[in-house]
Amino acid sequence: MWLYWILCVIITVEIYNVKRFDTEILVGVFVVLGFLSLAYLSVKLGNLNILSENGYVVIAQFNKTGGLKKGAPIEIAGVEIGKVKDVSLDKDTYQANVTMFIKPEVKVQEDAIASIKTKGLLGEKYVQISPGGSPTLLSSGGKLRETESAIDIEELISKYAFGEVK
Amino acid sequence: MKVIGFFVLLMVGVSAGAAERPQQIIMGIVDNVLAILKDASLKGPDKVQQRRSKIREVVQERFDFAEMSQRTLAVHWHKRTEDEKKEFVALFKDLLEGAYINKIEKYSDEDIHVIEEKIEGSFSTVKTEIITKKAKIPIDYRLKSVSDDKGWKVYDVVIEGVSLVNNYRTQFQSIINTKGYDALTKMLKEKKNG
Repeated sequence: MWLYWILCVIITVEIYNVKRFDTEILVGVFVVLGFLSLAYLSVKLGNLNILSENGYVVIAQFNKTGGLKKGAPIEIAGVEIGKVKDVSLDKDTYQANVTMFIKPEVKVQEDAIASIKTKGLLGEKYVQISPGGSPTLLSSGGKLRETESAIDIEELISKYAFGEVK
Repeated sequence: MKVIGFFVLLMVGVSAGAAERPQQIIMGIVDNVLAILKDASLKGPDKVQQRRSKIREVVQERFDFAEMSQRTLAVHWHKRTEDEKKEFVALFKDLLEGAYINKIEKYSDEDIHVIEEKIEGSFSTVKTEIITKKAKIPIDYRLKSVSDDKGWKVYDVVIEGVSLVNNYRTQFQSIINTKGYDALTKMLKEKKNG
């Protein structure tokens, strides 16, 4: 919103200046405009949340994230309902702490299950939430206790296809 | 034994709010079931019913099928009446029994042991491992302390990273969404009756 107002002000100033044929100020205005667009673009493309979005944070612990990245989508039924805000290592348990940022209109029950899935066979990792049946909803900063870690397909194949030693 | 001893030491001071700790409960179930399977008087095909009812008793005592049913039906659980809920719990129990009893009976001296026990408030995870000739199969039990009961009860089993509740949850969800709840109970009943 504020960006829009700044643009409006600049344009009015610009029109004012055009009337006065002050080319130097006009050039300056365009330079400022260029910088603003650049700033806007980098914020937009870099997924920086400077313009604070609404939502709440939910934390889940996984044994294995399989390379889940910051900014990865969180989905229910394939619909994006949030983003992974942070992935860090728990120093005591050596598990992965995944901080998820979820849209405020989406309520998650405390017995919902978060699973790390892969798009396609070798695609990107994302978090899928299957809603639960508990009447208790998670509040901001709440912990999603039920998790399924990323399934390592290579490991499973080697385990069940080549596992036989004898 | 060494492993268990280590964890007993580790867990001293952690109040579980119950007499028995989750890992003791899990090992208790395992030991009891194995004792039934090894019982010579219960062996043979003519004793199947007797053996199975004994296993059922052991499992029923420590598995919270009502909680499991609520978790698997998820959003559809609240839409059901009390009678429907009761019926579903019974059907779900039969489904699980039908799916796993054969596998339990196939047991042949594999090594089962507890790797880790974690308690967080009224929830706990016990990580165990079955060592077969082919591979090590990790099995995690999720337990919840039940206030009106003597202690912890299992509400989910995670085998090889795949949650039992989530597996049935997705399946039931798609059946209910496409064919309705009645179709699901009908399917479960048909499965039970062969």
